[in-house]
Amino acid sequence: MTVKESVELLRKGLSYARRTKYKEALVYYNKALTLDPKNPEAWYLRASVLIDTGKSKEALVDCEKAIALDQNYAPAWSKKGLAFYNLEQFKEGLFASTRAASLNGNDVSAWYIKGVCLDELGRSDEAQEAYGKSLELEIILDIKSEKKKVGR
Amino acid sequence: MKTEMPLSKPIRHFLNTTEELLDTEISLLREPDAEPGGTLIDCYTYDIDRNVIIFPAQYIGLLKDFIIAKHCTHLMIKGAAAKKGSYHVCSYTGDSVYRGMRQIYFDALKDEVNKKDKLPVQKLIQLLFILFSHFNDDVNELPWNTIVNASVYHRMPKIRKTQLYYVMKESKNDMDEMMEQEEIIPRRYFVLNKAMFYARDMFLAKTLPADELMPVLNIPQMKKFNHLEVKEMLTTRWTHTAWYQSKIFGDNMLEIIDKPLSQVNWSAEPSLDYYYELYKIGSNLTNQLLSYMTMKDWYVWEEPKHLLMAHDNKEEYEKNALKKIFGDLIADSWEDSI
Repeated sequence: MTVKESVELLRKGLSYARRTKYKEALVYYNKALTLDPKNPEAWYLRASVLIDTGKSKEALVDCEKAIALDQNYAPAWSKKGLAFYNLEQFKEGLFASTRAASLNGNDVSAWYIKGVCLDELGRSDEAQEAYGKSLELEIILDIKSEKKKVGR
Repeated sequence: MKTEMPLSKPIRHFLNTTEELLDTEISLLREPDAEPGGTLIDCYTYDIDRNVIIFPAQYIGLLKDFIIAKHCTHLMIKGAAAKKGSYHVCSYTGDSVYRGMRQIYFDALKDEVNKKDKLPVQKLIQLLFILFSHFNDDVNELPWNTIVNASVYHRMPKIRKTQLYYVMKESKNDMDEMMEQEEIIPRRYFVLNKAMFYARDMFLAKTLPADELMPVLNIPQMKKFNHLEVKEMLTTRWTHTAWYQSKIFGDNMLEIIDKPLSQVNWSAEPSLDYYYELYKIGSNLTNQLLSYMTMKDWYVWEEPKHLLMAHDNKEEYEKNALKKIFGDLIADSWEDSI
């Protein structure tokens, strides 16, 4: 029952986060984590809000917790890469985003973060490759979303 | 600039340069319902302290970067104009609305003579201000869009592929505009609208350079003009179509656009003087396009505030213009329609 309740709370939190109502989203995520701290998704979602509100250090802690629960949880690796990038730890950001992209090759954000980290590390050619992959995926998503709009 | 979102190096560098040169602050805002092309809310247009670039939340990579680059360049042009001289836009007054609507009305009457299915009077009346306003938006957007894209292309080579995708998408959307109303819009205005976008796309196809952006390849309705021989084009079958006419007008507009913009040194060191020069070129270009379309007296160059106030007064301007065009005949039908 608590797991079910926790999932419902996460869903509500996510709907607030999507509307950039981060305060409200955090309230739901915190409640969900109290009910079920073993759900990596809950840690990941809270990390996302923490990053969006400028708290990358705290987000990093949440990402670690999510990864400790599931080593192959790609979204947490991707967020971890972003948190490192924000903290200007580009080598660590590159490692995390590379891991995220290898776990989920369709993660636009992971490829993009990989690109910006490589760029910051002066590895321009490799950065272009990562940007290229990120753009390719972003275009596919954009075309899909355009089609959805037309279909509406 | 304070942001927690990742940005590619050239974009971050350009944002910092813009803030420094204009001595202003730029915020980036991710919004789920933002316009696909993003929005710039700037302190040279609105009464606000800092500038905001809003972009769609689903853009998280280079598409986001391109939108930021585009708006940031436009901000630079606006800011340089405001700092070096005065930043003006194409606005309108009660009198200019009257002149524009009257011309559209006369052109619509000429069109109606040859139409089998006549347009109901009430619709025709409504169409006048809609078209006037539509062209106001276009002339305030299109020359700048062309300049901004050329500038971004030369300054930020790393996002060129993204730019090409975006520009092709934008071009298709712009060409789709008015399509559903093709039969009711006076031909002249349908053609001029398409011609403007055709000219912009042709210029960008040459500048980027990207053949696939050429309207005869990118726009379905214009594909038939590709590989068409001149002799074949001159047969009535083609010359009477709106798309063929758009191409002819568009080729002339391309010359108007190409002449001043081909002289610009796009890679020059960014400075207020440089962007002010771009502003002056853009303003002259707008004037030349307006002259070519015989719309010179439709709009007035004024401060952005003037345009915002004009938008607030548009209903009154429209009502007064209709009274001047139709006299007392309009009174009853206008009251009925509101």
